[in-house]
Amino acid sequence: MIISVTGGKGGTGKSFVATNLAVELAKKYSLVLADLDVEAPNDHILLGAKLQGEEQITVMFPFIDYSKCIKCGVCGRVCDTGAMLISRERLPYVIPRLCSGCSACYYACPAKAIISGKRVVGKSYITPVKIGEANFTLVTGMLNEGEEHVAPVVVRSKRRALSANADLYLIDTAAGTSNTVAAAMDKSRLAIAVTEPTPLGLHDLELILTVAEALGIREKWVVINKVGIGPHDEHVKLAKKMGAEVVAEIPYSRDVVETYVDGAPIVAARPDTEIAVTFKYIAQRVAEVTG
Amino acid sequence: MSEENRGLDSIVSHRFGRAKYIIIVDVENSEVKIIKAELNPGGQAAGGAGIKAVQKLVDEGVEAVVAGAFGPNAMTALENMGIKYYQLQGVTVKEALGKLSL
Repeated sequence: MIISVTGGKGGTGKSFVATNLAVELAKKYSLVLADLDVEAPNDHILLGAKLQGEEQITVMFPFIDYSKCIKCGVCGRVCDTGAMLISRERLPYVIPRLCSGCSACYYACPAKAIISGKRVVGKSYITPVKIGEANFTLVTGMLNEGEEHVAPVVVRSKRRALSANADLYLIDTAAGTSNTVAAAMDKSRLAIAVTEPTPLGLHDLELILTVAEALGIREKWVVINKVGIGPHDEHVKLAKKMGAEVVAEIPYSRDVVETYVDGAPIVAARPDTEIAVTFKYIAQRVAEVTG
Repeated sequence: MSEENRGLDSIVSHRFGRAKYIIIVDVENSEVKIIKAELNPGGQAAGGAGIKAVQKLVDEGVEAVVAGAFGPNAMTALENMGIKYYQLQGVTVKEALGKLSL
């Protein structure tokens, strides 16, 4: 079963919820936590783990065989990202940074003058994590610096996570509601939207719940984090309107900040705090959904 | 590159890829032979605007271009296509030609 932790707005505590819930759930289930916030993956930092098992993620890259090129310019016309320029001599020229590796030029070229090569755009990692009695696997996707095309790294890292044998796959998505966030959430049985009592948190909560609905995710939960920093009654109303359950409210607390500083999940470092107990409750509720 | 279609009086746009018009001037011995305005295909592009603008310049046989600023992709493309590019701000097309002694 796939569960995604998302939220729309950045900085609401998606990774905080995902890592703590992973530690709690791993006591009962074989679990893979997939960090698909590939532009800034940091679950390993929150878990105090060192990334391992690096694998390169490549996309197709067109090399031109100029001896075969018939100067028709078709490759330039089919290129959707503007990565293929046609020179004054009608010869194609590729700008690597803009190429998404879609292969359209490769298939469109009538002279078979395009050689299908490869370009590295990111990496994925597979790291065993052991915190107290919790053992699980962390899969991390990481986009290379300077790369623009996020989707291939999200999709491949997700595939690597799902290929590991587990009962539960917990996916930590990036902020926002882009198609790459949707790709990370896709096929989830349950989406947990983490929000905060701010107008922006409210605004983005509506967007992300709409995405979850559009993806046909059956169960939608809301976790309101940092409760107390502002009013959150509108968040509760919105969740109800959108058919989502507010499953937990996490108070704004110094305990969280201190465990952040220590680089240890709060459920392990301070198991008796109100917040650690809240995560135990969320884990129990997940168990009810899993059956 | 310009946001206006007013011939030699058009003010040079502060941006390259997303400028609305390309004012194309054919200059020979400091004399303007032909002047025309083309819509910049980069103006409405979802992505890769600079590259679409460069492609239009290549197709039109342009040898040099003036704008207020150029993006990194556009500069790479212009250099590879052998098109000279000049950064000038707040001047008309006519003034730009004068400054570049074209």
